[in-house]
Amino acid sequence: MTSIYNFKRIAPVPDAGDFLDIVLSKTQRKTPTVVHPGYKISRIRQFYMRKVKFTQESFDEKLRQILEEFPVLDNVHPFYADLMNVLYDKDHYKLALGQINTAKHLIDAVGKDYVRLLKFGDSLYRCKQLKRAALGRMATIMKRQKDSLSYLEQVRQHLGRLPSIDPNTRTLIVCGYPNVGKSSFMNKVTRADVDVQPYAFTTKSLFVGHMDYKYLRWQVIDTPGILDHPLEERNTIEMQSITALAHLRAAVLFFIDLSGQCGYTISEQMSLFSSIKPLFANKPTLLVVSKIDACTLDDISPEERSLVEAAAQEGTEIAQLSSYLDRGIVETRNLACDKLLQQRVEMKLKGQKVANVLNKLNVAQPGRRDTVDRPAHIPEAVAKRRKYDPTDPERRMLERDLEAAAGGPGLYNIDLKKNYMLASDDWKHDVIPEIMNGRNVADFVDPDIETKLAELEREEERLEAEGLYDSPQEEEEEDVEEKRIRDLARRIREKKQIIAQESRINNVNRATLNAKQKAAASTSEDFADHLKRLGLDAQEAESTAGRVGRKRGRSESRDPAVVLARSSSLAARAVSVQRDRSVMGLKDARHKASSDRKRDMSQRRFAVTGRAGESDRAISVKMPKHLYTGKRSIGSNDRR
Amino acid sequence: MAVRAQFENSNEIGVFSKLTNSYCLVSLGGSENFYSVFESELGDVIPVVHASIAGTRVIGRLTAGNRRGLLVPNTTTDQELQHLRNSLPDSVAIQRVEERLSALGNVIACNDYVALVHPDLDRETEEIIADVLGVEVFRQTIADNVLVGSYCAISNQGGLVHPRTSLQDQDELSSLLQVPLVAGTVNRGSDVIGGGLVVNDWTAFAGLDTTSTELSVIESIFKLQDSQPSAIVNDMRDSLIDNYS
Repeated sequence: MTSIYNFKRIAPVPDAGDFLDIVLSKTQRKTPTVVHPGYKISRIRQFYMRKVKFTQESFDEKLRQILEEFPVLDNVHPFYADLMNVLYDKDHYKLALGQINTAKHLIDAVGKDYVRLLKFGDSLYRCKQLKRAALGRMATIMKRQKDSLSYLEQVRQHLGRLPSIDPNTRTLIVCGYPNVGKSSFMNKVTRADVDVQPYAFTTKSLFVGHMDYKYLRWQVIDTPGILDHPLEERNTIEMQSITALAHLRAAVLFFIDLSGQCGYTISEQMSLFSSIKPLFANKPTLLVVSKIDACTLDDISPEERSLVEAAAQEGTEIAQLSSYLDRGIVETRNLACDKLLQQRVEMKLKGQKVANVLNKLNVAQPGRRDTVDRPAHIPEAVAKRRKYDPTDPERRMLERDLEAAAGGPGLYNIDLKKNYMLASDDWKHDVIPEIMNGRNVADFVDPDIETKLAELEREEERLEAEGLYDSPQEEEEEDVEEKRIRDLARRIREKKQIIAQESRINNVNRATLNAKQKAAASTSEDFADHLKRLGLDAQEAESTAGRVGRKRGRSESRDPAVVLARSSSLAARAVSVQRDRSVMGLKDARHKASSDRKRDMSQRRFAVTGRAGESDRAISVKMPKHLYTGKRSIGSNDRR
Repeated sequence: MAVRAQFENSNEIGVFSKLTNSYCLVSLGGSENFYSVFESELGDVIPVVHASIAGTRVIGRLTAGNRRGLLVPNTTTDQELQHLRNSLPDSVAIQRVEERLSALGNVIACNDYVALVHPDLDRETEEIIADVLGVEVFRQTIADNVLVGSYCAISNQGGLVHPRTSLQDQDELSSLLQVPLVAGTVNRGSDVIGGGLVVNDWTAFAGLDTTSTELSVIESIFKLQDSQPSAIVNDMRDSLIDNYS
């Protein structure tokens, strides 16, 4: 809702002298200040280059800010563009901004040049002189902008004080000869408080006031008086009125004074009306006869009256008012507002946006869906109660009043219990235990809870007696099937439990056989056992297993003497055979048997418990702490 | 009579208060200013009660009620329930509701005869609403929003709904509720009607930012101070068109 045309936020423009002080002191504050001839020359050069560059950037930044903040005439609403042309002279304004822009470019060029020169500075002294020259030239350029800067500052101050007129909202423009009662009308309809004096050109600029009508906000613009002469001869004051009339889509109230108190005759006023008539095109226009306390349409001569009424012939309505007697003011205002609103609505109805508003204009009326009457419920006390009046000494005491009396918010402690509706007022502040007999007090709130419970229980018994809960008999067939499924489910659950328990027992930390090893270890007896437990016939499977199963050589006992004799037979010596290392170094079969037994005895502990033996590979500590902690001086910690 | 009010710099007064034809709940604030706005308008007619629900101040969004009853969410403590029971007349039934959508004020919009509820509300809750509040219950959405309580305000005389409600939806809702309906805004263009406005059959309270156009629409549609809904179509048409488009 706020106007986008707010020129109050433009930063002040310093004059040329202040401008230099600001920039140079900023350079002094924000760049290093100490340099010695003994420093390396590159460091000295860099020191001075930084100063030059920084100064140039500060100038650039401040000038750019001016250029960006001042409104560009081509981009603002034509009303403001024209008003600024009238007030500040468009050419002058553009020139000033143009010069600031040129100065900015010049300073940039100077900065660049001297930074380049500084690269060739061969001593501290020479660098310093180059810096001095650079800053000096920038200052000279800036000093030349003295006039532009002071002009822009004046423009800024004036712009900030312009009334904030929204060019697009509902507007009434009050215009006419000087001293015909425009400002008096303005003061009557708005609270603008414009200066009213009995001489011409009291109002020297546009004034804006606001009022409410038909739930909407309207702005009323009071314009300076205009005289009847050609456009070229009009002065700045008059031109502001013309600008407003030309560019704002508003209702125009043209004031005339029939009594001649303003110092202009009726014919002069009417000729002004006809000469600026082109400005009223497509705007609702009202010819307002003011000061009817002094002279009305009936009091003037017929010729003059015909002059006035001739204007009215061409679509302009005539309204009469007297600000002195407060007569006709509201009527005039309403007439103007209605005409403007009607025109605006007609224009908007042609546009696209109105489709979105239709549901806000449509009151959906219900069709009756039944015969139920749904009246409003308004207590009788509403009609009887007196409207609250804060000035009435006998008014109701509000909590706010009590609060103020008790010292204000934060100090007043409100009594939440004082409005309780209880059988006796004495009970209001009674302390109620929250727990009683081990139960929450809230459970006892209902006094009839016991009887209700008893009733519920009786009903329950009755229903039970009536057999509401008895299951019907006809589902017996399904029951057999269901029983079988339940039985199966129970067995599955039991089996699962057993498996879980077994695995819990076995799941201690010890070496386990893998699936392949387990399969190798299991015998056909295990298999048969398993089948029996499942309730299947194991005989068939056992016999099959016996047929298919391969007999392994190792499982058959051989005469050890034969084995020994074979291994040592000379016939085998002809080719290199792998000898059985288990019998090497052993005298005979007896000797071997005893050594085998000894070995078995030594390995028994590991074999029985299935534990890893001492020869198995073992990593006792996976990440030795001393290898993995601490920073390395080289910056890593994954290598030593 | 429509009054503008503000709760501690917030314009969403429907969040901090609940107004029906037989009682008014106001949340506890730092000062009594907000409470006294209601008190000065309703003081001698219906009880205006300080309340909190589950220790929070957003009572308007957590509770739903009408002349006959008040529904509070299951998070309400026993102490709060007791305070409400003691402060409200016996003709008002108070019921704690076990409902997953516990912001009852957001999911239930009701007057004394009809309630619109969120489409996902429990069947059990629906029955409780019908029993305790004595209303017909309809599962509805408003302008495709399921939070029916947030996007409309209804009384026995009229209703204001979300500004994007289509004309068909308006007609449908109106015939369900059996009151005239209009789409509109509160608080200078806010579409959260339930948040910015509380209303009963003879008063309305709107957020402080509500414009005079919005306020006069409210007065007309809810028939406050002898104004009639037809005023929106006749007298205010031009102002509305000029204001909104």
